[in-house]
Amino acid sequence: MMASQKAMLHRVGLALALALLLVMPWLLGSYQLRLFTEAVIFSLYAVSYNMLLGYAGLLSFGHAMFFGWGAFSFAVALNHFPGIPLMGAVMLAVASTTVIGLVVGVLLLRVKGTPFALLTLAFNALVFAIGIKWHSVTGGDDGLSIATPALNLGFTDLVVSSGPNFYYFTLVIVGAAIAFAWYFTRTAMGQSVLLIRENEERMRFLGYNTNVSRLILFVLSGALAGLAGSFYAILNSFVSLDAVSIEMTTKVLLMTFIGGTGQFLGPVAGAFFFTYVQNFLSDLTDNWPLIMGALFIAMVLWVPGGLAGLAAKLSGGRKDDDPDGTLAGME
Amino acid sequence: MAILQVNGVHKDFSGLQVLTGVDFEVGEKERFSVIGPNGAGKTTLFNIISGKFRPSAGQVIFEGRDISSLPTYARARLGMARSFQITNIFQRLSALDNILAGVRSRVGLRHHLLRRPHHDRDLMERSEEILERVGLADQRHTPAQELAYGQQRALEMGVTLSLEPKLVLLDEPTAGMSRQETEEAISMIRRVTRETACVIIEHDMNVVFSLADRISVLHYGVMLACGTPEEIRADQRVKDAYLGEEEA
Ligand SMILES: Nc1ncnc2c1ncn2[C@@H]1O[C@H](COP(=O)(O)OP(=O)(O)OP(=O)(O)O)[C@@H](O)[C@H]1O
Ligand SMILES: [Mg+2]
Repeated sequence: MMASQKAMLHRVGLALALALLLVMPWLLGSYQLRLFTEAVIFSLYAVSYNMLLGYAGLLSFGHAMFFGWGAFSFAVALNHFPGIPLMGAVMLAVASTTVIGLVVGVLLLRVKGTPFALLTLAFNALVFAIGIKWHSVTGGDDGLSIATPALNLGFTDLVVSSGPNFYYFTLVIVGAAIAFAWYFTRTAMGQSVLLIRENEERMRFLGYNTNVSRLILFVLSGALAGLAGSFYAILNSFVSLDAVSIEMTTKVLLMTFIGGTGQFLGPVAGAFFFTYVQNFLSDLTDNWPLIMGALFIAMVLWVPGGLAGLAAKLSGGRKDDDPDGTLAGME
Repeated sequence: MAILQVNGVHKDFSGLQVLTGVDFEVGEKERFSVIGPNGAGKTTLFNIISGKFRPSAGQVIFEGRDISSLPTYARARLGMARSFQITNIFQRLSALDNILAGVRSRVGLRHHLLRRPHHDRDLMERSEEILERVGLADQRHTPAQELAYGQQRALEMGVTLSLEPKLVLLDEPTAGMSRQETEEAISMIRRVTRETACVIIEHDMNVVFSLADRISVLHYGVMLACGTPEEIRADQRVKDAYLGEEEA
């Protein structure tokens, strides 16, 4: 197929997908729409995680610390600054997550591989411990309930805490963040991440301070996870320690692996798959994590490219020797 | 003025004394060659100049500035680039992307979160130009790992040149090449280093004597001799220690 035809096809596909997303509230009942919104939020969480795992080859066991930090700081901002505008609270949450990402990132600057994975796990546990102990701010085991303020649009105030309005609000803000993450892969920084994974030593000899590159990526991926976290808080009108727990880290790991780390949309597919399957299974049995775990093992063993890899193989598209797909996306 | 000065450089690897006091200077547009038997410490010397290792003693001076304690990337930014004896490129990326990595680093486009290097006309043109210089213009979209050996060596050189350095350090640029490829590489090196300083490590005497303005012989951790190709050819110590075996 000609390159221009292919680009055309992509554009048509994108337009159709967007149109479909826009009419969702007419297609789905309120329960289903809420589930769908949750999947969109988790998509950003998984996409942000894949910036580390898929693009930089960094396995983190601590992504929930950013997700949870974003959720809690959003709730704390709302509860401690009465009258704060909704977007102000969201921005505050993202900003504070950025600061945490910077602090943790500087401490992790020189480590890679297993030490990196273990240290992220340790930091996640530390942040979780802060969540439990700092009762006066975080509510400890009780968590924090929040009343999401209306969104000030200038000419009117829009209640966006639930229903179609929340869905559209999520679609715009979270969707923009996902779109940025996609754009990011083509930027100088995004390309540097790929090049460093490919050959870090040569990059250093080409004038790149690769530790700084890793730090920027770590902070960015954390900030996006924090944004996802604050939307998770709106979704539930409540934040509990579950948002910052090791389970929440495991969740993003499962989503990303199931969806596939090799292609940008892999984690999105994984987030949708996970959200819907979990919803379905948890209605049937309390042992759903067991089934999820088995599914995960099966995917890792037999479908290493994840759902996205599977789809590409079935459609006879992309070659298999590019487990990242991202390389193929470069002109 | 000398662009590079190496002063009394020592290097030992936990007891193994590899370099025991190496001194030399390279002029601004000079092609300087380092020869010496296997294991003499030539690559180690490059690793010290380019910042991969710290010297155990001594200094590396670049453009009059002591850079002995600067990290690798900072030295690269000052205008020093090296190639590797064992090809060290971005295997899964296209030839063009290999070059682009250095070209954009040269203008400081390393960590920008919005600008896309592939959409920058100027950078793309410069990358194409360098590909052309090393004879890979027709392979621009070929992944490095699919190139023939000689082409990979050319790309190795291209990646080095992509920084448009003032000082080029070439570690056995023709290793493993056929006669024909070697001849092409010699004229390419001559062309691309016309305006820069260059240090070349080589085993192939043909390459050394046809390229170098000056030659130094590294032997048992010190510079045994240093001079013009004629002087080196005539030097009895060099003949005894090194050239003898090759020319016999
Ligand atoms: N990182 C290192 N750790 C320990 N020893 C090393 C290291 N690098 C090099 N050496 C030793 O230093 C000596 C010189 O090695 P070097 O690679 O510099 O030689 P060379 O002159 O480049 O040889 P060749 O012509 O084979 O490339 C060798 O004995 C080698 O084993
Ligand atoms: Mg060597």
